[in-house]
Amino acid sequence: MPRRAGAVVTRLLAALAVLVAVLVPGSPAWAHAQLVAADPAKEATLTAAPASVTLRFSERLNPDYTTIVVSDAARQPVPAAAPTIDGASATITIGQTLGNGAYLVAYRVVSADGHTVQGSYPFTLADPAHPAAALSAAAPVAAAPPDSSGGGTGPLISLIAAGLLLAAAIFWYARKRRPPPR
Amino acid sequence: MTSPLSRRGLLAGLGAAAVTAAATPAAAAPAAAGVAPVALATAGAAVAPAETGIGAATVPFHGPRQAGIAEDPPAHAAFVAFTLAAGTDKRALGRMLRLLTDDAARLTQGIPALGDTDATLAALPARLTVTFGFGPGLYRAAGLTSPVAELPAFRIDRLLPRWSGGDLLLQICADDPLTVAHTQRMMIKDARPFGSVRWVQQGFRRSPGVQAPEHTQRNVLGQLDGTANPRGPEIDPAVWNPDGSSTLVVRRVRAEIEKWDMLSVSDKENAVGRRLASGAPLSGQSERDEPNFTALDDTGLPAMPDFSHVTRAHVTDPTLKILRRPYNYDGAPDASGRPDAGLIFAAYQRDITRQYVPIQRRLAEKDLLNEWITPIGSAVFAIPPGCAENGWIGEQVLS
Repeated sequence: MPRRAGAVVTRLLAALAVLVAVLVPGSPAWAHAQLVAADPAKEATLTAAPASVTLRFSERLNPDYTTIVVSDAARQPVPAAAPTIDGASATITIGQTLGNGAYLVAYRVVSADGHTVQGSYPFTLADPAHPAAALSAAAPVAAAPPDSSGGGTGPLISLIAAGLLLAAAIFWYARKRRPPPR
Repeated sequence: MTSPLSRRGLLAGLGAAAVTAAATPAAAAPAAAGVAPVALATAGAAVAPAETGIGAATVPFHGPRQAGIAEDPPAHAAFVAFTLAAGTDKRALGRMLRLLTDDAARLTQGIPALGDTDATLAALPARLTVTFGFGPGLYRAAGLTSPVAELPAFRIDRLLPRWSGGDLLLQICADDPLTVAHTQRMMIKDARPFGSVRWVQQGFRRSPGVQAPEHTQRNVLGQLDGTANPRGPEIDPAVWNPDGSSTLVVRRVRAEIEKWDMLSVSDKENAVGRRLASGAPLSGQSERDEPNFTALDDTGLPAMPDFSHVTRAHVTDPTLKILRRPYNYDGAPDASGRPDAGLIFAAYQRDITRQYVPIQRRLAEKDLLNEWITPIGSAVFAIPPGCAENGWIGEQVLS
């Protein structure tokens, strides 16, 4: 019996090693720059036009590699100055007073390790001082992935793969445990 | 001169015979069936090296422009830079260049150099070209004003003296590495009395026959390299001065491959601005599509990232393009297995200051690819015009 228990432990350790091996290549993705705060916030409905957009990330930004674009419901970019960078935050000043409607903020930044991170999120401007006209004309922001990141699917794929492997390991272990037919 | 000329004639005759022999079986196939080619090849081997079309191919040496620039680059190259010995004056330079011109004129046509100690190695030129470049130091030694000046310092540079500068350059290219080695050895031997070897950079591209010649090659980072080169009628106004001269920039660019390996394909594509597989700009569908820098993706971001290599390097005016003729290098890895690999970036253009420097300046200011490449060597050379059969390279400058 001790020998058998030892074999079980060995197998479990092997399965764990496989899990780690599968997960580790995906793990650097979790160290990439991530959007941690946004103003206007994701999915916010504002009652006053924002003069600027500020995005804060999980690591310092390189001004050379930081792009932020605000576009309207027709996906036309709103005129804005190049972003100013303060540590991990980037701000663009919007060059005009926005009308009511749906907007999309899109960003492209580069992590310290050179990984490109890009994504987007919508916000809506519904200023009661400017009733429905512009708002009704504005189509809802569609077809834009709410927050897509270049490496975002990496960890997910790793997790699915790990799950499959774990299932396979359990199946294999259960089969081994079953007494032989004879 | 009669002896080498007749030898050249003999070799040319043999070459022609080989070509005829190779062509005949196809024409005479009904009679000889599949046996003839073998028999003919064997017969050919008895009188000449068992050469193929690739081994016997030659590029003319004489002409108003030097060879080795506008031709499709052969598979192997050695860039050999010399430092002139102190006291090498205009007259000595003339002697040296007459000698080296004679070597190049012979070797490129499959004829041994005078005093060739391994004449058999000269028999397969394999599209051998030898291109001469004059560094600023050569003009100084001759008491002349140099048409080229060292590049300004760029902030990305980590230049090492062992890969930088040079008074004289020989760019030796052929489709066979043994041909390059033999030519390099012969020409260094003849240049030795006039100067010392400053550096040698050996590089490679795909072997002949592996891809169609018009196919853009990949570099060691897996990128198609040379898509934006001037082509056809664009080459003359970008590369050649009316007198047949040009200029050359040689940069040794180390690739930080192990860091590059950690990127996903989409990260690499964002850094370059092109799809890795097809070479298409991120704003387009196929390799030759002009990048569209105003195209937006479905979130409103520029399809071509503004920090990508292509965005930063792009030139619209064809007369401002540069002809990139790069070779890969891949030295021995260090003890931990880290590669010593990168690009021998060779660019030909009419005017370095007007064409090359603005591109390099933009790239040095901003180019995401800089995270994975480091210039470690740099040299500039004037490319004098070619010469006639009774002339020598540099005669217009040094006579």
